[in-house]
Amino acid sequence: MDFGRSAVEQAFADEVCDFLRAHPPETFALDGTDAGYGSGAHSGAFTRALGERGWLSLTWPREHGGRERPMGFLLVLLEELAAAGAPFGPLGGCLQVSESIIRNGSATLQREILPQVARGLATFWQGYSEPGAGSDLLALETRARLEGDHWVLDGRKIWSSHAGIATYGTVLARTDPASTRNRGLSMLMVDNRLPGMDVRPIRSLTGQVYHYEVFMDGVRVPRDWVMGKPGEGFGQLLRGLDTDRFWGRFYKAPFLRRILGLLVEYVRAERPDDAVARHRLAHAATEIAALRALFHRAAWLIEHGLPATGPVSAAKIMAAELGQRVLSLGMELLGSFGVLRAGSRWARLRGEIEHQYQTSWGHTLAGGTSEIQRTTIAVRALGLPAEPRGR
Amino acid sequence: MDLSFSPAQQILQQSARAFLQQRCSITRVQELALDPRGFAADLWKEIATLGWPGLLISPELGGSGGTVGEALALVEELGRACFPGPFIASAVVATTALGLAPGRRARDLLAALAVGERICTLAVLEESGRLDPDALALPIAPSGGVTGRKLFVPDAHVATDVIVLGRGAAGPTAVVLPMDRAGIGAHPLDSMAGDKLFELELADVAIRPDDLLGPPGGGWALLGPAFRVGALARCAEMAGAAQRVLELCVEHARVRVQGGRPIGGYQAIQHACADLYRDVESARWLTWEAEWKLTSGRPDAHAAVAAAKAYGAEAALRVARRGHQIMGAIGYCEEHPLHLFHKRILTAALDAGDSTWHLEAVAASIGLPQDRR
Repeated sequence: MDFGRSAVEQAFADEVCDFLRAHPPETFALDGTDAGYGSGAHSGAFTRALGERGWLSLTWPREHGGRERPMGFLLVLLEELAAAGAPFGPLGGCLQVSESIIRNGSATLQREILPQVARGLATFWQGYSEPGAGSDLLALETRARLEGDHWVLDGRKIWSSHAGIATYGTVLARTDPASTRNRGLSMLMVDNRLPGMDVRPIRSLTGQVYHYEVFMDGVRVPRDWVMGKPGEGFGQLLRGLDTDRFWGRFYKAPFLRRILGLLVEYVRAERPDDAVARHRLAHAATEIAALRALFHRAAWLIEHGLPATGPVSAAKIMAAELGQRVLSLGMELLGSFGVLRAGSRWARLRGEIEHQYQTSWGHTLAGGTSEIQRTTIAVRALGLPAEPRGR
Repeated sequence: MDLSFSPAQQILQQSARAFLQQRCSITRVQELALDPRGFAADLWKEIATLGWPGLLISPELGGSGGTVGEALALVEELGRACFPGPFIASAVVATTALGLAPGRRARDLLAALAVGERICTLAVLEESGRLDPDALALPIAPSGGVTGRKLFVPDAHVATDVIVLGRGAAGPTAVVLPMDRAGIGAHPLDSMAGDKLFELELADVAIRPDDLLGPPGGGWALLGPAFRVGALARCAEMAGAAQRVLELCVEHARVRVQGGRPIGGYQAIQHACADLYRDVESARWLTWEAEWKLTSGRPDAHAAVAAAKAYGAEAALRVARRGHQIMGAIGYCEEHPLHLFHKRILTAALDAGDSTWHLEAVAASIGLPQDRR
């Protein structure tokens, strides 16, 4: 059993830390909000800086311009970025989409998109949920029909993160009008600049914009801008969701460890004799350690091509729920100061707890609700019978 | 990162599971839990021929010189089978302490433990119930009689030897005594958990020079590391037992039909089972991470073991308690095995440092020591 980093992984971690010291995270311009997953805000500048170092294509095959590093390098990169509080919001999406394009994308997509991803010029939004298709995603109504060399796309997607500042969306649409449920779906790669795209911000309870609603009216998508084969969209979706749950949340443990560190400093300074606070923070530390161990178990399974749905879903549930518990603890420890926004004269810990407390309430919903995850574990990992579907 | 089990660990796991399925059925565990003596001398003999008590003892003393990681792989299986008896006390904690002690006495005892001829228990806790060198009150002088009592001594009725930790002039001092030394009495404690706990009464028990384990005042230096390995073993035992509770619950949810379909087809039960799965997996891998840190001598190993024990106890108890709700009324019956696993987890959670004790170590590791002035 070895949970440690290899010598080359540690050398890479040192390289990442050196970069972060030379380029402190707060010096990069932000162009999107921090949704609290642990990847910080959306920053095109920081994404491009990662690209300049070749860190957006670390694990890609050489034929696509990658460095063919093992998956462990990515784990190191994400952990170090999260521990430093860097603004790498788009990175999880880039990892997920580039992996899909390399595995299942057409030659056109590989040629057009991958070089942009590698340089930090392409970021992605997910077009899955619709107003009438949330947890029951297969009730989606977005459609695309083939006209010559193009798909003509009509429909409406919602809760798409960063859609207003990303460059491309992966849009799940029904391409076979005669099909139902999980057949006849395709995953299209849609350029935000195409005519007919209308991306509208949704202000969230944090007061900031993270989600968007996307209206697509006769958008003409080139025929080979499809992930996998037409009609195989459901498989693309499942693989995408599996990887999104992992790559979009793996760094939650180091993020929560950073938050815990802030709370420890606060308690040391403001209420050093508070035994209850000490006990609760120590308890939270054990849970964060357990979350990290669970994510590493999932990572090891993924790296070895073994079934990881159970551990990944369990880690996703735990990441979201533990985040809510840790941030709730933070609000309690800060007392009346907890509600003061960042920038307020009296805000404690730079108002970070206030913001992350609010974002945490979206995490048990996004990427498949905790209820959907629990059902997934029960049916796919434990072999319990699926609940009969209503008509 | 390599989260695979070594060939030696895999062989141990497989052979232990096969042996325990055959020789340590849950019915047998039930009988032993209900029996006041509750010790399976035949099983202890058989596991001695398999080399389990000598797993952590060096080959020159007749053991197999195994690693802590191999011991944990075995203990996971013991937990899964709810194997009763003093394995962790004798073959893990006492064995580790004796292995750290210099001198012929410890070596002779280890050689006898390795072949299952002798069994060694530990007498540490007192009326304060606190596992803490400062809480030790029993006075131990290098020569002369020891008088006092120890509580929560496991399996004193079948142990041939006992390591007693007391307060010496130079600090915590450990001695090893044969249970038949004049003046030692063992009185059973009436525990609901099926484990066999005793009050050890010491009435002017003579201490001979070679009874000392390590130097006077050096008792905690021997027992501290032994408790850390013991805490990990208890984590592995809890993970194994919790895994079995999950299996029992999933099996029940598959076959128990209500409202025309298996209850495992209802989300209320599905989601409860999913929570058990999360608790089992997270506790198990946190344990293995702590094992790696301890074995590879990482500076944060102490805190990692403490976190694994505190979290593992909480998670495994959550599994047992929620398990009762999934299992329904049948799980409330004495003849159903669920309560045996629940109580085993409870015993393990309290042994080798309870959660409050381990959380203190975690608090110190994140920069919040108890007394910073």
